[in-house]
Amino acid sequence: MNVKHNLQELTNIATRLRLHVVDMVAPSGQGYVQQGLGAADIFTTLYFAEATMDPTNPSWPDRDRIFLTTAHNTAIFYATLAERGFFDVADLATYVTDGSPLEINSSERMGSFVEATCGSLGQGLSVAVGCALAAKRQGRASRFYVILGDGEMQEGQVWEAAMYAGSQGLDNLCVIVDYNFVQSEGPMDLVMSLEPIMDKMESFGFACQEVDGNDIESLLAAYDLARETKGKSSFIKANTLMGKGVASLEGLMFHQLRFPPEVAASARAELEAQL
Amino acid sequence: MNETLTQLEAADFINRSFKPLPKAYGDALVEAARADPRIVALCADLVPPTETDLFRDELPERFHNVGIAEANMIGMAGGMARCGEIPFCHSFCAFITKRVLDQITMQAAYPNLPVKIVGFLPGIATLLGVSHQAIEDVAIMRSVPNMAIFEPSGPEYHATMVKLALDWDGPVYLRMKRPETTPDEFTPRSLEIGKGMIRREGSDVTIITSGLCVLESLKAADTLAKEGIESRVIDMASIKPIDQTLILESAARTGAIVTAENHNIIGGLGSAVAEIIVEEGIGLSFKRVGIRDQFCEGGTTSFLMKKFGLNSSAIAMATRQVLEKKG
Repeated sequence: MNVKHNLQELTNIATRLRLHVVDMVAPSGQGYVQQGLGAADIFTTLYFAEATMDPTNPSWPDRDRIFLTTAHNTAIFYATLAERGFFDVADLATYVTDGSPLEINSSERMGSFVEATCGSLGQGLSVAVGCALAAKRQGRASRFYVILGDGEMQEGQVWEAAMYAGSQGLDNLCVIVDYNFVQSEGPMDLVMSLEPIMDKMESFGFACQEVDGNDIESLLAAYDLARETKGKSSFIKANTLMGKGVASLEGLMFHQLRFPPEVAASARAELEAQL
Repeated sequence: MNETLTQLEAADFINRSFKPLPKAYGDALVEAARADPRIVALCADLVPPTETDLFRDELPERFHNVGIAEANMIGMAGGMARCGEIPFCHSFCAFITKRVLDQITMQAAYPNLPVKIVGFLPGIATLLGVSHQAIEDVAIMRSVPNMAIFEPSGPEYHATMVKLALDWDGPVYLRMKRPETTPDEFTPRSLEIGKGMIRREGSDVTIITSGLCVLESLKAADTLAKEGIESRVIDMASIKPIDQTLILESAARTGAIVTAENHNIIGGLGSAVAEIIVEEGIGLSFKRVGIRDQFCEGGTTSFLMKKFGLNSSAIAMATRQVLEKKG
């Protein structure tokens, strides 16, 4: 783990982000609460520790760029962006209300801190590969982080992009798959298994690591290793637990979960106790 | 021994396949890129057929043959454009439009990035048959917001295509065609965005056309002139944005319009012209020449133009018909 980061502080940030997720999803009663809770540690570590960016100048050309390629795990995404200072935390209350730029699928109409408009699955890695190539050409030290969905990896374009990144040895590219084992219609293994995913990515030329995606220290160590790896793109399989942080929700593996007010209230109390 | 034979055969095949035809587009792209370091070129493994071999050889550090992976090419181009580059993407028209429409809309058009989409083999003009024919590409690309579409009628307009693509501050589709025979010496000519070019003047009827059908329309106009019919022929290389002023002025002036395009009659140039005329409330005699909403087949261009009703005699016949209706 990079010594400059305070583990307790990052843990608290992750908890605060989880609280936002609960608050944002509660009014509509359904949404990506499970995925948001599960991915909170990935978002925390990337945005608050690993990536270099300037919220006062989001278009800074030398920034690191983070791409959320599924675009729909937005409660945690918006909570992260707001807490990181890209927009007002109060705006989170407009999540998925008509006219708000905080749409269920993120779009760059929010601002340039949404690095690409994804949501049509499988496209974001290609965009990041293009950015990584341009940055190399321009002599920039920027790094490019792609948060892929596991189900998203069923899209063929992901493999086109991986093949090109691998063939070019793009070591400024780091792919993190939020591996929560669930896609829209149920467990991935019952729909179309990705396994053996590590072997597949390794054969495409990536330096591969598998970590507990809810362990902040492990994630930071994985980013460190990825940054130090030269001549290869990195792939981090980050295994995440849906509902992480709320005992009654942990491991409830549904792509869409009903989230009634009483469940939201108890989740909130549980998370507040962790601060 | 076998290996040597194979190489000899391959060399012979290449020599016969790639005749020394002019590469006015490829030359112009290299020239523009020398002047502007932001320009990069991507190609999905069709390098000589898209004239990008010149770019590959001259500016290799800014050239990517991305392999046979068009979807990734468009996404990468979006990323490069986000990082301040101006990517020109190359493949055949069929593969760089309808195959990757979603990638184009999300990674080039919605963010309004300067991603230049360059297709070769427009419409039916290929031996390679239905898989390689793009007869619906203009209809598709025309309906994408922010997208401009330019189609040259011959190699003298190829260099200006690069300029038009750069002048349009956003995504562009260039519908290119390689010359099939070595043309006589030609002088490069320029075009303007949103302007039709009057290639022949006449007051009886207007033929609005683009691409391969421009020369056929001019031939048809020659034939008709011998019958006492004077046709205005407009080369509408700027299909989107289109020259609304010239279309309406021509409608008022000649009262009869024929459109001619190497594309399905649904959704292309003919539809674009009809939309403008109808919305203006003008009643006139009108006919579209194009592929009659059917799939075609592989063949030589002249054979296909005749069989599917795109050649000068088809255009002349349609022109006589609108004049009969005009009365």
